[in-house]
Amino acid sequence: MRKGGNAYGAGVSRRSFLRRGGAVAGGLSLAPVIGAPFVSTALADTKTLKIVQWSHFVPAYDKWLDGFISDWGKKNGINATIDHIPHLELPARAAAEVAAGAGHDIFGFNGSGGPHLFSKHTVDMTKFIGETEQKYGKVGAIGKQIAYDDKTKTWNAFPDYFIDFPGLYRKDLWGEIGMLPDTWEDVHKGGAKLKAKGHPIGIGLGHSVDPNNSYNSMLWSWGASVSDETGTKVTLNSKATLEVVKFVKALYTDCMTPEVLSWDDSSNNRFLASGRGSWIHNPISAYRTIQKSNPKLADNIFVTKTPAGPVRRLAAGAPNSYVVWNFSKNQETAFEFLRAYCANYKDAFLAATGYNHPLFENLVPKPQPIFSNDPSSHPPDKLKVLETAAEWCVVFGYPGPSGPAPDEVADNFIIPDMMAKAATGKMTPEEAVKWATNEVELIYKKWANHA
Amino acid sequence: MTAIAEGTRPVPRRSRFVLDRPEFMGPLFIAPAILYVVLLVALPFFLAIYYSVSAYTIFNPSYHFVGLKNLKEVLESDIFRHTLGNTFFFTIVSQIFGLLLGKVGAMLLIQDFPGRGIARALVVLPWAVPVSLAVLAWKWMFDSLYSVINWTLMAVGLMDPMNPAQWLGTTDLAMTAVITVHAWRLFPFGVVIFLAGLTSVPKDVLDAATIDGAGFWRRNYVIIMPIILPIITIALIFGTVFTFTDLSVVYLLTNGGPVNSTQVLGSLGFQVGVLSGDVSHGAVICLFLFPFLLLATIILLKVLRRREI
Repeated sequence: MRKGGNAYGAGVSRRSFLRRGGAVAGGLSLAPVIGAPFVSTALADTKTLKIVQWSHFVPAYDKWLDGFISDWGKKNGINATIDHIPHLELPARAAAEVAAGAGHDIFGFNGSGGPHLFSKHTVDMTKFIGETEQKYGKVGAIGKQIAYDDKTKTWNAFPDYFIDFPGLYRKDLWGEIGMLPDTWEDVHKGGAKLKAKGHPIGIGLGHSVDPNNSYNSMLWSWGASVSDETGTKVTLNSKATLEVVKFVKALYTDCMTPEVLSWDDSSNNRFLASGRGSWIHNPISAYRTIQKSNPKLADNIFVTKTPAGPVRRLAAGAPNSYVVWNFSKNQETAFEFLRAYCANYKDAFLAATGYNHPLFENLVPKPQPIFSNDPSSHPPDKLKVLETAAEWCVVFGYPGPSGPAPDEVADNFIIPDMMAKAATGKMTPEEAVKWATNEVELIYKKWANHA
Repeated sequence: MTAIAEGTRPVPRRSRFVLDRPEFMGPLFIAPAILYVVLLVALPFFLAIYYSVSAYTIFNPSYHFVGLKNLKEVLESDIFRHTLGNTFFFTIVSQIFGLLLGKVGAMLLIQDFPGRGIARALVVLPWAVPVSLAVLAWKWMFDSLYSVINWTLMAVGLMDPMNPAQWLGTTDLAMTAVITVHAWRLFPFGVVIFLAGLTSVPKDVLDAATIDGAGFWRRNYVIIMPIILPIITIALIFGTVFTFTDLSVVYLLTNGGPVNSTQVLGSLGFQVGVLSGDVSHGAVICLFLFPFLLLATIILLKVLRRREI
């Protein structure tokens, strides 16, 4: 054996190890300095753009968007990337990026209040929206609710699209009772008859997104709302709200089964797909899934506008918007991308197979493809009614703007819980309204102080 | 021989290398751990405490001091008060079941039987499986339409097919469901702790007690339990703190529903602080139990130390 050696070669003393290690580390640390002039020139030539948004319910849309961004990046010499994350992770992700002052350049919000909540961290888009409105028409009501700040008269976000919230019904079953679920009263009367025949209707009453949409839709359709048009005064405690709560109690008892209390957002889709359900309040995702799994059943599923109430016909849409962070170093590139995105919006619309309703009036002019002629549907104009969705969809905060307070009311499921408490008999309708009003007032008061 | 001779050669003090000095190396080795605790535990913790007495929100990131105003506002909410009660119930009951199952499991797994090694490895699975995956499996078992539990109960005639149990839809069953899943996750921890405790009980003491006529229950409660009590206390502290601060099972299984019947402080804090962007009130909700937990832990550890002496 060699002196001081080991099985793998010559012995290394601690000192020589440190000396060699130091030399290696020193060399490595010098490398960027030596290479800097060459590397920085190369980097300076390549612009970057990083986007993050939710994983869309329609994978084909994400696929189209990924391809579009990649092609656009290559064509313009921009290293553009997009990350898709589950929609429930978006708020935490946005908060983390803001706290770090770094992350993506464009952040895609899924939901109504994001642009308002993060308004102090976003680039003013007023000029860009003006330019886009000139080309593609005015922004609709939902777009204004989610992206326009009435106090500062500025646009915080680019309103991208919303997902509607229609009624999906079994035409064969409703035909048997000679009815069409066009109003909430129809849904109640017909639902009771169909439940007796073993085909109940279903609206979730648990803690998920759909119940928030459905029960807010009912409030608005009865002329009730959580707050007024300024978005500051709580107006929940009203005669109209009480009527809705009483109606939901009757609807639950007469037309539904207790399973709706445990539903998540996919449960009503499964309920309709099982062949048992006769009506659900949901975007067309349920229909699209059934088209693949059970085409025969899908042919019996038809779409209506959201049911009308005694005062009006309104539903809660699920909006999406893009903001550009004010700490982004690629703000101009971000706007370049949004311009290109708008120019190709028809392709985006087609890729989304009817989910994404544009929020600029003429971004996809009417008659819109798919809605006017969907080759996969029988008849092909089955989804035609959705072309009017912008007329009967708004978002949380209505009749005022969306924002942190309406969002927290939704995040805490106060409206669905108010309905559930009354429906299950845990509280009288009057007590349930009082309970919900107290919780909503605490939230609005808190956010008024924060503002 | 040469190497040994070289190795024992005295090193002159002057040339003694800095890495040979324990007074330097000791702090150097412990520094990363201290740095880790300071940066990733202490700093966020104190920041959270400050958030709870500030007006900080995502909308208006102001560190303006507001004292106990946030706490007062949180206490006014019926949802919070209800959540607080749920948290205690959820923690206490799932601890009892987790530890009881752990004890039973450990007593079974300490016996000598063929395949004991495999059985011991399998028992750790609920602890090792990612919580999201485990809860997803449970969610299907509790599903309103396709619950395998309901299917089985209907097949053996113990449930009315026209009126199946809504595991996640009725308030009491939903709480039962989240406790079941959490106890299922906790019980491997209990098994490991109890196994470690049981193997430390001197066999001669047990043999002597058996010869003296002590039966199963007497051996269990008069000899084994007092000996392993310190280790159970540690398990209890860990389990309690872990459960009080956990939100994963509730968030993934019921999201706090129905009608907040399974809402716990962790999930409510996440809802308010992260999803709604009200960081200050979210911090109050999350830190609400900290003083009580700290006090309980100190008392338990003191009792434990006194007992050991």
